[in-house]
Amino acid sequence: MISRRLYHLISLLILFFIISFYKIYSQPHSANNNYVAFTNGTVVTISGETIEEGTVVFKNGKITAVGNDIEIPEDANIIDISGKYLYPAMIHSGSHLGLIEVSMVRETVDVDEYGDINPNVRAEVAFNPGSRHIPLARDHGIAVAVVKPKGGLISGMAAAMLTDGWTWEDMVYKAPLAMVINWPSMNDVEKRNKAINELNETFQKARRYHIAKQASEKHFHPVDIRWEAMIPVLEKEIPIIINASEYRQIQAAIKWAEKQNLRIILSGVKDADMIINHLKDKDIPVIINSVFSGPSRKWESYDKTLSLPAKLNEANITFSISGETAASDLLRLPNHAAAAVAFGLPEKEALKSITLYPAEIFGIDNKLGSIEEGKDASFIIANGNLLHITTQIEQVYIKGIKTDMMNKHRLFYEKYREKYNGINK
Amino acid sequence: MVKVIKLSLLLCLISANYILSQTSQKFGLRDNTPNVFALKNATLIVSYQNIIDDATIVIRDGIIENVGNNIQIPDDAFEIDVEGNCIYPGFIDLYSDIGMPVIEKENEKESDLLNKKNGFSHRNPHVRSRYNASRHFKKEEAKVEKMRSQGFTVAHTIPPYGIFRGQTAIISLGKEETKDLLIKQNFSQAMSFQISKELNGDYPTSLMGVVALIRQTFHDAEWYYNAHKTYNQNPVGFKKPEKNFDLESLIDVLKQKQPATFSVDDEIALIRALNIADEFNIKLLIKASGKEYRRLETIKAGNFPLIVPLNFPENPEVDSFDDVIGLCLESLMHWELAPENPAKIYEAGIDMAITSDGTIDNESFLKQLRVAVQRGLPEYAAIKALTINPARLLQIDNTHGTLEKGKKANFFIANGNIFKPKTIIEEVWVNGKKYPAEKSYKSTPQGKWLLSINDTIDFELKLTGEKDNYEGKLVQDDKEFELKKTKFDNQRMHFIVNGIFDEEEVIRFSAQVSENLMYGTGEKTPGTFFNWKAQKIESIVENNEQDKDDTDKKAKESQNISTVLYPPMEYGIAKKPEQEKCLLIQDATLWTQSPKGIIKNGDILIKKGIIEKVGKNIDKPRNCKVLNIEGKHLTPGLIDPHLHTSIIGGANEFGSTIVPETRIKDVINPNNIWIYRLLAGGLTTTNILHGSVNPIGGQSAVIKTRWGNLPEDMIFEEAKPGLKMALGENVKRNQSSYPITRMGTEQIIRDAFQAALDYRTKREEKKKNGLPYRKDIQLEVLLEVLDGKRLVHAHAYRQDEMLMLIRLAEEFGFKIQTFEHTVEGYKIANILADHGVAAIVWTDWGGFKMEAYDATIYNARLLMEQGVLTSLHSDNTNLATRMHWEAGKIAGTGVNEVEAKNLITINPAKILGVDHLVGSLEAGKHADFVIWSDHPLKGFAYAKQTWVDGRKYFDRQEDQKKRKEVLRLKNELSNKVLNSN
Repeated sequence: MISRRLYHLISLLILFFIISFYKIYSQPHSANNNYVAFTNGTVVTISGETIEEGTVVFKNGKITAVGNDIEIPEDANIIDISGKYLYPAMIHSGSHLGLIEVSMVRETVDVDEYGDINPNVRAEVAFNPGSRHIPLARDHGIAVAVVKPKGGLISGMAAAMLTDGWTWEDMVYKAPLAMVINWPSMNDVEKRNKAINELNETFQKARRYHIAKQASEKHFHPVDIRWEAMIPVLEKEIPIIINASEYRQIQAAIKWAEKQNLRIILSGVKDADMIINHLKDKDIPVIINSVFSGPSRKWESYDKTLSLPAKLNEANITFSISGETAASDLLRLPNHAAAAVAFGLPEKEALKSITLYPAEIFGIDNKLGSIEEGKDASFIIANGNLLHITTQIEQVYIKGIKTDMMNKHRLFYEKYREKYNGINK
Repeated sequence: MVKVIKLSLLLCLISANYILSQTSQKFGLRDNTPNVFALKNATLIVSYQNIIDDATIVIRDGIIENVGNNIQIPDDAFEIDVEGNCIYPGFIDLYSDIGMPVIEKENEKESDLLNKKNGFSHRNPHVRSRYNASRHFKKEEAKVEKMRSQGFTVAHTIPPYGIFRGQTAIISLGKEETKDLLIKQNFSQAMSFQISKELNGDYPTSLMGVVALIRQTFHDAEWYYNAHKTYNQNPVGFKKPEKNFDLESLIDVLKQKQPATFSVDDEIALIRALNIADEFNIKLLIKASGKEYRRLETIKAGNFPLIVPLNFPENPEVDSFDDVIGLCLESLMHWELAPENPAKIYEAGIDMAITSDGTIDNESFLKQLRVAVQRGLPEYAAIKALTINPARLLQIDNTHGTLEKGKKANFFIANGNIFKPKTIIEEVWVNGKKYPAEKSYKSTPQGKWLLSINDTIDFELKLTGEKDNYEGKLVQDDKEFELKKTKFDNQRMHFIVNGIFDEEEVIRFSAQVSENLMYGTGEKTPGTFFNWKAQKIESIVENNEQDKDDTDKKAKESQNISTVLYPPMEYGIAKKPEQEKCLLIQDATLWTQSPKGIIKNGDILIKKGIIEKVGKNIDKPRNCKVLNIEGKHLTPGLIDPHLHTSIIGGANEFGSTIVPETRIKDVINPNNIWIYRLLAGGLTTTNILHGSVNPIGGQSAVIKTRWGNLPEDMIFEEAKPGLKMALGENVKRNQSSYPITRMGTEQIIRDAFQAALDYRTKREEKKKNGLPYRKDIQLEVLLEVLDGKRLVHAHAYRQDEMLMLIRLAEEFGFKIQTFEHTVEGYKIANILADHGVAAIVWTDWGGFKMEAYDATIYNARLLMEQGVLTSLHSDNTNLATRMHWEAGKIAGTGVNEVEAKNLITINPAKILGVDHLVGSLEAGKHADFVIWSDHPLKGFAYAKQTWVDGRKYFDRQEDQKKRKEVLRLKNELSNKVLNSN
């Protein structure tokens, strides 16, 4: 039995900690310039074999060495993680993180700009570093989230954002990353034709602008910020993410992109199982939105979307699993990969589909997606298999920075546990 | 008895002669043409069971005077020889809207006293029981002619709008003056479950609201009857009860003096109507949907006559891959089996009539009737269902329905058996008056004719084709002349021929055609007319060879690919899975969710759907089936206490704020593929709730996922009744009705419970004094809540609103059973525990609206730590198929795995009051369990088998076969459609 006085003292102390947590909640740490070495952990490298009792050394946010018998620099801060698992941090392939805070409160929604043709809008500049959903994603192991505008025909430019940083500028990982197009529904022929005409017209205008621009030594052409933004797309420097789910949409989008000579990534792809050979032939990478979305036709099998990753994997199609788009739901990313394992996807592939594969699809695999020398020191340290839903992530590092692991879920937990500690006394 | 009949016959004859014209005033000359006919040499179908060859029928003034083989034709009769023809009793249509006007502004037409707000009519515009078909009848000659042309002589006409639609009438399909057309008025009360938009009502907006309105209205009518009776016996000292024409019109239904003609959309709606009839002890005439074959047993048990339509589905689009992908097996199966519906109903021995409803406008009635016969309905049964059965059901079988002496001369003459494809109705007689069938193709000019012009030049005329599309040629020796612009219209034949007389000229031919002769004229040169005639020498109407092929083809077609499944759709089952008498499952990792914890290498013994023993090394009883699952995990069936799945016609009643009168159990859709998918996710019990738009919503229904069963057999009977309530953002969203704040929400709930208490006081007082009281089905439900007989499931997010409702309930002396969603429950866990309210929570849903912003995945953990009975829920049918992973997430917050599993098994069972039966693996409980492929919480597990009541409703291995079977059936049926064109 603790005395009342001692109890108060402890309460105060805990309260102090909580207040300080609250202060640092969602705020990033400064960079660590010394060597740090994790030792004795199960290092799941993703790109190579899993290393039992492995060591990972990093400095200035980059991995400097990985292996079993590697030399640890003398000044390194050694952290023993025996019994723990170390994974590369995950990449979320598409969401509205930072652009929507509370979807039903209009004032907090910055994802869908007026009009149908918005190639010039940039997701990163509206990315709210103060969003409560960002630390939640980070603490659940996501280092980089692809943030997409939505709505209209051309929604805008997506950006890959770090989940740690003081300003959006700090947090830009790669931008512009890709342009987002929503393929029109194939059911209403009139609407669909209208939309596709508009899309074709838009691309023709952009090409006219591009040609005139390149030849503009003689002729003056004022800047059109819409077409200016599309130049990297026309030059295939950046791809287009086309949202298309139904097989007819996917077929139409592939054909269109081929004719337009553009680089595309397909996203959604619920019916991809029906056109696997197409995807294989064209070598088009796909992003599976949610394995939980379920069949949309009565006759389809109950596990249609759950078994989709396994089918794409068997066909050697490049794919990533993105989970859900809602800003509050990024934490479920590994659950999607786990469910895919239950329905036939090899565990190793499931891990790749949320780390290395999205990194490859978005061209950031030189920095992220696996535990390799030279890549970001963005890690997950967990008490078990990352894909096990019951596993707890104990610590996340983003570019070498140990994050505070404080998010709104945790914060409310701490705060109210304290309330009940007081009451139950 | 015989004498009585004779007497009434005599009366009939007299009345036909003298009474009909009694009040009409004559202008001009009187018409005294005699109306006495003798049709002789006919094949007379006197009734479905009495056919006389070479018969004569004598008609006098609209009445059949005599019928038979060798009867004396009266001297004054005009004889008509109808040799080779069949005379059938006129068809009677039990369900028609003939003469019913489109919606009009009623209040302008009727008295001011019928004004909705303060008149004599019902407050709800969908209650139109006073509406009288006979008073609003309008002549619709064009439509009547269509009906007559298909053999109908009498129709039961039904007002088409509303839930209580009004009084029906029986109408003769002749051309008499309107007042002579009416055979009977106020025959029945028309009812439906449909919300007619034309009536502009606010309430109900949902099907469950419709059912509630029907029930309350019957209770009101009962009260109305009793109140007026009491008052009329002794008015002294009483206020006169209100006058209400609509309630008054329902008394005859309640007293079984009048049936209700209830129109339904499908077999589930039909069963719903049966339940209403059962509750209020009323008689029904059911206008069926055409889908009765799907639930024949239950429908038969209802023991009411069916009015069966022949609205067989049109061929679905199957030409392209895209078409077929978009089709569901359910619609293809119905396409194939629907034409057998009349035969199946007949075979089941259900009293039936056939209606033309849905087949008159496109004049496909006879065609579909022949399809029905071809698909198994005996010809005599078809005649019965179109003549004497409807006559009997309309209680006019003493005057209609057969061609017997004394009955009305209602019949049609066909040139053969009416069920043969090429038979044509030539004439229809209504009340002894002859009407030609609207379109008669009998004198089709098709065939070979000998054509002569001016009796000198002879040609052979060959005509082929039918209806509006003829081709032909004139042949003379080796010369052939094409006919152009060949047309046959109103018995006139027209064509053009080039170069019969000279090279260039164009000769136009026209002729009057009668059976085997054409009498025509033409113009040779301008001003020079010629006459021509033609005699039919050969009919080439039928190609016998072709017909035989057709018959063979049809016989082949009629071999069904599909069979009736339960439910009648993809993944439906032919019969209920067997319940094992004795089943011993060995070597399981048993998650008992009981004090026994997890038993490795455990056994479980099940007898007749009940768990008998749980433990290790259970002895195998004799004759017991053994299933060794080699260490696989076996858990209780999962329970989701909050879903809105399988609700027909809307999960919310938007029409009013307080709607406890609505009941989910009235509107459960068993034909929903997601029930199967829930099983595939291991879910065996769920609570289906009303939506969250109303502070006091409707009554919930706990069901088991017994795929293939009807709603009443899915209901978990032992579960405690529940009522949905809702607080917060959703209930205040509609800015045009009270409440629009959380403050108002508290007040309107308070007001409702107060009203319930006051209602009880008044009710008890009236009961004590032996006076009739109006049963209020809304407030009765709230009294159940106040008495602790009904559990409150209150949707709530924020802590303030939860606390408000707890205090309000405490004030009224009842307990809140659960908060649903309970997003901020962790903030007041201690208060929830004190009140004893359970918390139903999500794992990681939050942030989608303001009141969900403070969501935390630790909610369940904090609540459990404070001793709150906690459960997970999905609120989403898709999420409900993977509740095991939801529990896994909670284990990931530091809760131990067994306790996390409790959140989807025993805890929700406690919440729903069924923990004595399900939720754990313990002796005496239902054998509801799931066998998993792997550790059920960690993420790599799927359900291998799901058992409910000791019956295996889902098996992943069988599922793999079934999905192939679904695609095979779908493909074969699509091909059958393709070939049937």
